[in-house]
Amino acid sequence: MEGLFDYAPAIALFPLAAFVIALAFGPKLPKKGAIPGIVATAGSLALSLAMVAAVVGGEEGYYHTTLFTWAAGDAAGEVGEGIEFTFGILIDPLAALMLVIVSLIAFLVHVFSLEYMNAEGETGLPRYYAGLGLFTFSMLAFVYADNLLMAFMFFELVGLCSFLLIGFWFRTRSAPSAAKKAFLVTRFGDYFFLIGVVAIAATFGTLQFAGDDSFVAAAEAAIDDGGQLFGFDAETWVTITGLLVLGGVIGKSAQFPLHTWLPDAMEGPTTVSALIHAATMVAAGVYLIARMFGYYALSPTALAIIAFVGGFTALFAATMGVVKDDIKQVLAYSTISQYGYMMLGLGVGGYVAGVFHLMNHAFFKALLFLGAGAVIILMHHEQDMWKMGGLKNKAPVTYYTFLAGALALAGIIPFSGFWSKDEILYDALIVGTEEPLIMAAYAMGLLAVFFTGFYTFRMVFLTFHGKPRSDVAEDPHPVGWAVKFPLIALGVLAVIAGVANLAPVAKLTGLEIEFLNEWLSGGAEGANYAAYTDALAAVYDTGFIGTESTTVLIAAGLSLLLAFSGAGLAWKLYNVPEPVAHKERLGSVRETIESNYYQDEYQVWLAEGLTLPLARAADRFDQTVIDGTVNGVSSVSLFGSDRIKRIQTGIVTNYAALIVTGFIALVIVLGVLGGWFL
Amino acid sequence: MMIEALLAVTLVGALVTFVAPNRIAGKLAFGISLIPAALSLWMFTAFDGSGNALLDGELAFESQFEWIQLGDYTISWLVGLDGISLPLVVLTTVLTSLAIMSSWTPIDERESQFYGLVLFIEANLIGVFTALDFFVWFIFWEAVLIPMYLLIGVWGGPRRKYAAIKFFVYTNVASLLMFGAFITLVFGLGDVTSFALPEVATAMLEGGPDGFAGLGGSALASVVFVAMFLGFAVKVPVVPFHTWLPDAHVEAPTPASVLLAGVLLKMGTYALLRFNFTMFPEQVEAYAIPIAAIAVISVIYGAMLALAQTDLKRIVAYSSVSSMGYVILGLVAYTQFGVGGATFQMVSHGLISGLMFMAVGVIYNATHTRMVTDMSGMADRMPVAVGILVAGAFGYMGLPLMSGFFGEFAIFFGAFGSGLLAYSQLFTSLAMFGIVIVAGYLLFALQRTVFGPYHLETDYDVGRAPLHDVAPMFVLLGIIIALGVAPELIFDMITDAVDPILENGGDA
Amino acid sequence: MNVPIEYFVLLSMALFSIGLFGILTRRNALMFLMSVEIMVNAANINLIAFALYHGNLTGQVFALFVMALAAAEVAIGLGIILVLYRNFRDVDVTVPTTMRW
Repeated sequence: MEGLFDYAPAIALFPLAAFVIALAFGPKLPKKGAIPGIVATAGSLALSLAMVAAVVGGEEGYYHTTLFTWAAGDAAGEVGEGIEFTFGILIDPLAALMLVIVSLIAFLVHVFSLEYMNAEGETGLPRYYAGLGLFTFSMLAFVYADNLLMAFMFFELVGLCSFLLIGFWFRTRSAPSAAKKAFLVTRFGDYFFLIGVVAIAATFGTLQFAGDDSFVAAAEAAIDDGGQLFGFDAETWVTITGLLVLGGVIGKSAQFPLHTWLPDAMEGPTTVSALIHAATMVAAGVYLIARMFGYYALSPTALAIIAFVGGFTALFAATMGVVKDDIKQVLAYSTISQYGYMMLGLGVGGYVAGVFHLMNHAFFKALLFLGAGAVIILMHHEQDMWKMGGLKNKAPVTYYTFLAGALALAGIIPFSGFWSKDEILYDALIVGTEEPLIMAAYAMGLLAVFFTGFYTFRMVFLTFHGKPRSDVAEDPHPVGWAVKFPLIALGVLAVIAGVANLAPVAKLTGLEIEFLNEWLSGGAEGANYAAYTDALAAVYDTGFIGTESTTVLIAAGLSLLLAFSGAGLAWKLYNVPEPVAHKERLGSVRETIESNYYQDEYQVWLAEGLTLPLARAADRFDQTVIDGTVNGVSSVSLFGSDRIKRIQTGIVTNYAALIVTGFIALVIVLGVLGGWFL
Repeated sequence: MMIEALLAVTLVGALVTFVAPNRIAGKLAFGISLIPAALSLWMFTAFDGSGNALLDGELAFESQFEWIQLGDYTISWLVGLDGISLPLVVLTTVLTSLAIMSSWTPIDERESQFYGLVLFIEANLIGVFTALDFFVWFIFWEAVLIPMYLLIGVWGGPRRKYAAIKFFVYTNVASLLMFGAFITLVFGLGDVTSFALPEVATAMLEGGPDGFAGLGGSALASVVFVAMFLGFAVKVPVVPFHTWLPDAHVEAPTPASVLLAGVLLKMGTYALLRFNFTMFPEQVEAYAIPIAAIAVISVIYGAMLALAQTDLKRIVAYSSVSSMGYVILGLVAYTQFGVGGATFQMVSHGLISGLMFMAVGVIYNATHTRMVTDMSGMADRMPVAVGILVAGAFGYMGLPLMSGFFGEFAIFFGAFGSGLLAYSQLFTSLAMFGIVIVAGYLLFALQRTVFGPYHLETDYDVGRAPLHDVAPMFVLLGIIIALGVAPELIFDMITDAVDPILENGGDA
Repeated sequence: MNVPIEYFVLLSMALFSIGLFGILTRRNALMFLMSVEIMVNAANINLIAFALYHGNLTGQVFALFVMALAAAEVAIGLGIILVLYRNFRDVDVTVPTTMRW
């Protein structure tokens, strides 16, 4: 089986080829580049599944190879010897899992696009498929990058693809603006990420994720040595660099306070939202934490910050999702909120829980976005939920798959989302019993469950239930197999994916059914779940309320209770034939929430109210003071010459007088100096 | 004798073009410029040098003979290439060819003179990067100014005279300062009887000057270091000596901008590396913090200025100030990745800024305006040209897998761990913020000009750009991506030439 | 009979001062030219006097050169004055000031 690993580069190269084909020959191809894209992502999917098989069947359980050296040289700083920046492939259980997720969703989105984009007569389709191809290439390469620099590079490239695809409808005003904002905000995070990469490289002389010469191992050794790094304790320095890298994560995974770009990114085609802004690219940040989890595990402070940011974002975004009228906006805020959960899970050391939720979320959120895409087709490109209603009977496939996704998102047992979210909250609870900060994060995460249930079902009821509230909702546009097939595939996954890790059941019954846990325990030495549990030590064995079983039941019971009450409230308010908005009941809070807590305002102010005037002031300073000095030098010399030239009167006598005066003056000066008069 | 051949071909080509009829001058000049381009590419493959040209390295294509005897001092013709100068020579020849092709559309008067001057610049630039005797080098250095002055002053925009004179006088005064400083240094070095740079460098590193004109040895070295730094700083340019650049760029015709940003600015950093950072390791250490501060200010302040502009060319011009700040930071880091990355960045920025100016030029050819406020939605009418402009903009922002990223990353990495520069982590982190601002102003400009609904203030019919306008940009883009994917193509030879410099002072 | 060198120098000084006075005060170009000639001859006297004093003929030879030079100068000077008169109907040197600035 291990021979299969030799084909690993092709996983990313297939979509790259699709990108080149779509860009070069797209306009002449029958489906404008869709076919090469579908073939390439199908190939990537097949190979990714083969990688899973190879990881299972292989002896080492992972694959690590260096493809080529990007640059090499002497390293300065804390390490005296040379450093090599390489491109390499690391396929361990985590990467293999993520490869399957990414290529599967990319494949399904390509298929979905056949109807969503091609059938709608869009122009610029080669550009669209080229963007998707480049994105899939970058994302897959990011997933199996074996070092932090390569990860950073493809992290940036997915940002580029995100920019290009959000701005796909560039002839509007809003899409280019949203694209710019998305790139800029994530770039701001990447600024810290890049400092982190540079700092880690300069500190440890390596950027490898796994193996003996990884920076994780080097950091561990440095902490054990107890030495100083760049004037800090080794552990403090690890925390600092870890938090710098976290900056990129917060940007890409749309965590507070850099979450503002994601709702705007909904300006892109819905397929793009499904692929990039829900299931994969946004996951890149969280995936990166999982990828270098060993590094964060060395720093409890960094982990606690991750957990707190995650918990806060989960609640914060969920409350904003409650008042949105645009179906894609609701999903956007729910995406931010769900990634908050993953951060919370990883931050409390729940590595498996975080990755589990990452996987489940990828499935059900892609499903929901594609479902929303189907709704948008049905509604002739209307996205306002108040104009929908009653679609349940007219589009049963869309309805039932969307409902499956919604149940998973709301965390209703036994759909996939419940299992992973419950595991995250359970982990947070037991860590929280010993750490007040984590307890606060847990409380916020728990509260967010209620809001999640509410906004999810508010969306479902407004869209599908009740009576049609507009003409198009009376007579929706039919959808074809290219829409239904991805929906059904993802719908099935959203229902059953939870089986992968039924942790509560395992804990209560003692059955060995935590498959994902086992899966992630394999793989590269020091870069797997088994190693992390060693590092994180004791808290998981002590932080119970009563016994383990009671803790499990309390955690699950609480979150289920809140999820049901949220859903129930939505049922009561919106599952009526003619629902009305209930926003007045929010009172004074309403405006704050509807304005997204003024997050956009202050960030726009930072860009346009502060930076731009500052730049203009700098420009004025430059034009007047600096260039003024330069021009001043020339003006002064011009002015001076203009005065002095008036000595030249044109009258010969004056010249003669000048000569004589000068001569006499010279003689006198020489005389004085020569001492003639003494 | 390869370098002499290279120079001769270009100079003769310039003369031939000068007297050729206007009708065929463009095509003829392009054809002629392919010869030095091919020659230099051949030299690139046949390069067999090693080490640094000034520090006992093995020079490639070296040739030397005595030229003038002045009292005790000998001036000799000494040319040769090492790993630092060769990439710059190739950059010069390739970029000139592409710039010539890109000027077929915009240049429609006095063509033969225009293309003749462009080839004349090329010859002098090759001379600057190959000459290793100060006297010969200085002749080429100054001779570059004259054709550029004419290109701006004759074919430029409405304020061309102001811009041309400002460019000429400003850089010339700076050159004078540098010239005086260097001559003083040579007189201060007792045993040196020639202006050959290797000899001066050796003497500097083996004891330094004895003193001259009332100054002691180390004081003289410091004065000369500062004076030369200021002289080159104008050429680079760094803040606050940068104000000639935007004026020159805005008024210059597109191909002149391409050469100005692409190669002429690199003369400054190349000279800094060759003179200040090779011959004065002690002074580099002593003045590291002010130089790094200048670099960081150039990066941030230049980027802020670019943010405030509404003229596309001014945006790119100010962003050049910002990018050259990175180069200075890399140099002062004095590590292999820092100095090597700075050299790489010189080449990379030459390619990318050339690409940007060409792309802006293509848009200008069609719209006759460069003001951001005058147009929007250009992507609608010129998809290919705009696609390249967007690609170039992302290259400028340091997108990975394009050459700019490697240059910047190497500089940051080299500077972060620099042992010579105190507070290097702080300086590096501050300078890195430039990557956010650069994204800000370029994306802001793109959003307003090429995206959005199509609208144009000027009264022109905009269609797709002709092939000979976009072909050179495709070539540049190809090189940029190739260097981004495999920077080792030139980084190996650069580090090979940089290492001997660092042995004298840096801690790498 | 030996005339002391001081007398020659005094004579030459006097002549030179007269010539200089003429240049600084006269407005007539002809007077100007004559004043210049007087100054040239003052120099000549010096040359010859010192040649005699040192017993060296170089000075006298030089004086001959200067005389030839003065002749040429007068030729050109008179030419200039003629042109001046033709253009300005006057030989006043303060009138033609077009060459200033």
